[in-house]
This record gives sequence, structure tokens and C-alpha cells, in this order.
Amino acid sequence: MKPAEVSTPSDREVLVKRSFNAPVNLVWQAYTDPALMRRWLTAMPGWSMPVCEMAAHVGGKYRWRWREDESGQEFGFTGEFLEVALHSKIVHTQIYDPGDMGGSMGGEPSIITVTFNETNGITNVATSIKFASQADRDAAFSTGMTDGMEMSYKELDGVLAG
Amino acid sequence: MFVDGLDQALAALADPTRRGIVVHLARGEASVSDLVGLFSLTQPTISSHLKVLESAGLISRSRVAQSRPCKLKTEQLNAVADWLKQVQEIFEGNYKRLDVLLVELKQAQKEERKK
Repeated sequence: MKPAEVSTPSDREVLVKRSFNAPVNLVWQAYTDPALMRRWLTAMPGWSMPVCEMAAHVGGKYRWRWREDESGQEFGFTGEFLEVALHSKIVHTQIYDPGDMGGSMGGEPSIITVTFNETNGITNVATSIKFASQADRDAAFSTGMTDGMEMSYKELDGVLAG
Repeated sequence: MFVDGLDQALAALADPTRRGIVVHLARGEASVSDLVGLFSLTQPTISSHLKVLESAGLISRSRVAQSRPCKLKTEQLNAVADWLKQVQEIFEGNYKRLDVLLVELKQAQKEERKK
């Protein structure tokens, strides 16, 4: 599949698009079943996902937390589901939980919208991250994403070594 | 970090024509008439896009030459591009693992159907 495409449809929004070679019911399962989510959303070498709680229905909450096994440091995200349409759309709020990693994403939750669309056995997934305010976006720009960057580099090291 | 002006930079890059102009300028300088020909748009339309890009600090325009060629200003653009690249790498890292998981789920579904 082609690598994920990232664009900025507006000054507060980041859109990520990717296609998967699988029918939508399986992609949906991978996005909503905690046991499956733990395997792809988190499997960075040296990291685990000790908490992955999902109540994937409107008004339900979720709690995700990652831990770097070596240092024991944790961070995560929490939020609430605003819309859940089977095999088609998930909308949820997202609040950064600094754990003991520190940093902040501002006060207001971001809104994450994930849409699923299957054509001939290929499922197209579009993820929109809408920041609540300029401050939240700037915080993500200058801190949160840098943390993520370090993780992805570590992961890259693992891939190159393997 | 160039969080100053990030609003303008992201808003400027939200437009597909302006992204196209930026991609084209990444290959080298171009004049308004070059861009008019390339994008099949009118000169005032191209000029207004260039104005947005210029005030967002993404391009500069020569004051010297008659044709006022446009040139990318890399500082602000690199900050935005680096950020988007980070986002891309984080997501793609996850997605590669999801690809592997989906192969497994498809296989399991197939076996289930055989029964």
C-alpha cells in the first residue's frame, strides 16, 4: 500500500490518509478491539500499552496509555466517543495525558475523526485531527510531536537492525 | 521553532493550488508568467495566491528583476514540512504494523469460512 499521505486542510487541521488491503469489517475490528489495537497502535520496540480501554459507543470513554519499559515512563490519551457508525466513522475527543513524560497540549480536547471506506476489498482510512485552538496546535507542533518523533526513530532503529 | 506565523503558513498550504506552486518552486525560481502557464489560471489569480504565500513567509519575490521571480523561503516551510513528516512517520509506523495484523485477520477469516 502507498505510504500515508499527510495534508493540512486548514490552519487547525491535519489530515492523514492511507489505504489497507483488507475489507472494512477487519479494519474496523483492528481499530476498536483493544486486544488488536495493542498490537499495532503501540508495538514500538521497548514500549508497551498497559492501558487500552475502549467503550466504543456514543458517550463512551476510552483510555490509552503507553509505557517505555526501560524507564517506566508513561503518557497517554483519553477522550469520549461523539459518533460511532459501524464500519464507517468514529469521532472522538482527545486529551493528552502527560503521565510522567510531562508536556501539555493545552486545555481543550482535539477532535479526531476517522472515516472508513471500502472499495473492492481495499479500505481507505482518513484520520482528521482538529485542534481546538491555536494554542493546542502550537503545543502539538512544538512538544507532543517531538516526543512521538523520538519513538518513531527508536522504532526505525529496530527495523534497520532486524 | 517558528510557531509565530504558523497560522498563516498552514492556512496558505491548505489550498491545493498554493501547494502546487510551492512544490513547483522547490525545483527552482519561477516568474508569475511561468506559473500562469503552468497552472492554466489567470494572472490575477496566481498573483493573489503568491501574495498569500509571501505574507505567510513561505516565498519571497525579487525586487530587482523586472519579472520579480518567486523563490521558496525555506525557514518557515521547513518547520512545517518537518512537523508533517513527523506526523507521517508516526502514523506510517503504526500502519505498517496494522498491515501485518490485517494479513493475519484475513487468513483467520478465510479459515473460519472453510469450517
